[in-house]
Amino acid sequence: MNENQASIGEDDIHAYVDGTLSVERRAEVERAFEQNPGLAARANDYFSLNNLFHERYDRVLTEPVPQRLKPQAPRRSRRAANWPQFAGMAATLVLGVGIGVGIPMAKNAASQLADTRNTRAVSAEGSEVFAHQAAIAHVVYMPAVDRPADIGADREQDFVQWLSNRLGTDVHPPILSKSGFELTGGRLLPGADGPVAQFMYRDAKGERVTLCISRRKVNSSTTAFKLYQDGSVKVFYWVDGDFGYAVSGGIDRKVLLELSHNVYAQLTASTPG
Amino acid sequence: MDVRDELMDHVPRLRRYARALINNRDLADDLVQDTLERALGRSELFQTGTDLRAWLFTIMHNVFANQVRKASARAVHVSVDDESVAESEFEVPAEQGRALEMRDLDFALQRLPTEQREVVLLVGLEEMSYADVALALEIPIGTVMSRLSRGRERLRALMAGTQRVAKLQVVR
Repeated sequence: MNENQASIGEDDIHAYVDGTLSVERRAEVERAFEQNPGLAARANDYFSLNNLFHERYDRVLTEPVPQRLKPQAPRRSRRAANWPQFAGMAATLVLGVGIGVGIPMAKNAASQLADTRNTRAVSAEGSEVFAHQAAIAHVVYMPAVDRPADIGADREQDFVQWLSNRLGTDVHPPILSKSGFELTGGRLLPGADGPVAQFMYRDAKGERVTLCISRRKVNSSTTAFKLYQDGSVKVFYWVDGDFGYAVSGGIDRKVLLELSHNVYAQLTASTPG
Repeated sequence: MDVRDELMDHVPRLRRYARALINNRDLADDLVQDTLERALGRSELFQTGTDLRAWLFTIMHNVFANQVRKASARAVHVSVDDESVAESEFEVPAEQGRALEMRDLDFALQRLPTEQREVVLLVGLEEMSYADVALALEIPIGTVMSRLSRGRERLRALMAGTQRVAKLQVVR
């Protein structure tokens, strides 16, 4: 063993793999790797282990939660909530939300909730599943918000353009800064019939909201907002022409509804009809 | 906000961790269920504003440690139950060579001592900081590091084949 390695301890290698070292210490560890291929191979294997864990077990996150693990009063069981079904479900939105057709802004949030409950037995499950998917996406991607899709102001336009191309339309994420929320990221989630765009916003206090936009195959007229709640996550969702929208967040329902109105207003202003 | 509502947010992650910890869907969900029930029973002990996730992982750790103690006292092996796991459990959409690795991973994980398995998974899968792992498991951070080190090296050796185990143990 050479002298350089002596200063690099066991803990340093793990901290390197787990990304907790300072920039300087990182560089030192990397120099030690250059001189000691065995050390580098170990770090490499530890990285691979972490990746394997995610590849192997992340799919549990999107499995439907068994009834016995729902600490709330027993509810009607829902269909599976894995992403591949998402776009398909969105296509059935027209059936589900059709019952709720009305003037979107007229009703208050409380009656929207009542509507959701009353029509649950009648409406197709599609719309509720859509909202459920959005709620899950909101929770599942919550820890990753800071990391992968950090968009600098200069790159924001590229990102929007890229997303638009993938979705096959001109989708502009609404600006919610008046309500204190800034766009922090976005991603495309896979679906059987096409991608779903998810935009993430955050306010100064760290509260997060996500907006999901899915392109539907069946066109329909605008529908009323509906509220869906899963755990602490509330989702307002609606259909407007070719698109289904869902705004999710753990914040106060009134604030979320205001945001939804804001999103709705901006999106209809940019796409006539 | 009701703790009950907030608990629901954490169920998918608790299930993921439990599944990796216990390679059996039903037993893993049992562990999650026990954890949730205990958390609900003691929800008045939870301080609003503190990290609910850390609190839940502490509870799950205690429930799991209890199970392991009871099981070893009765000399019943609960952790590995390959027979009852459907073959589809192992299917991975990627290429076949990958699936083999995955299967090795389940096998190797179950052969780690439980206290090393917990640390390796909390760090590698849950991406908790070392300090948070120390809090959740109620052990000193030095113990976290030594379990992490031994656990990872053992996993690596298990997945590479037994010959390497001997060699690496000498180096260590």
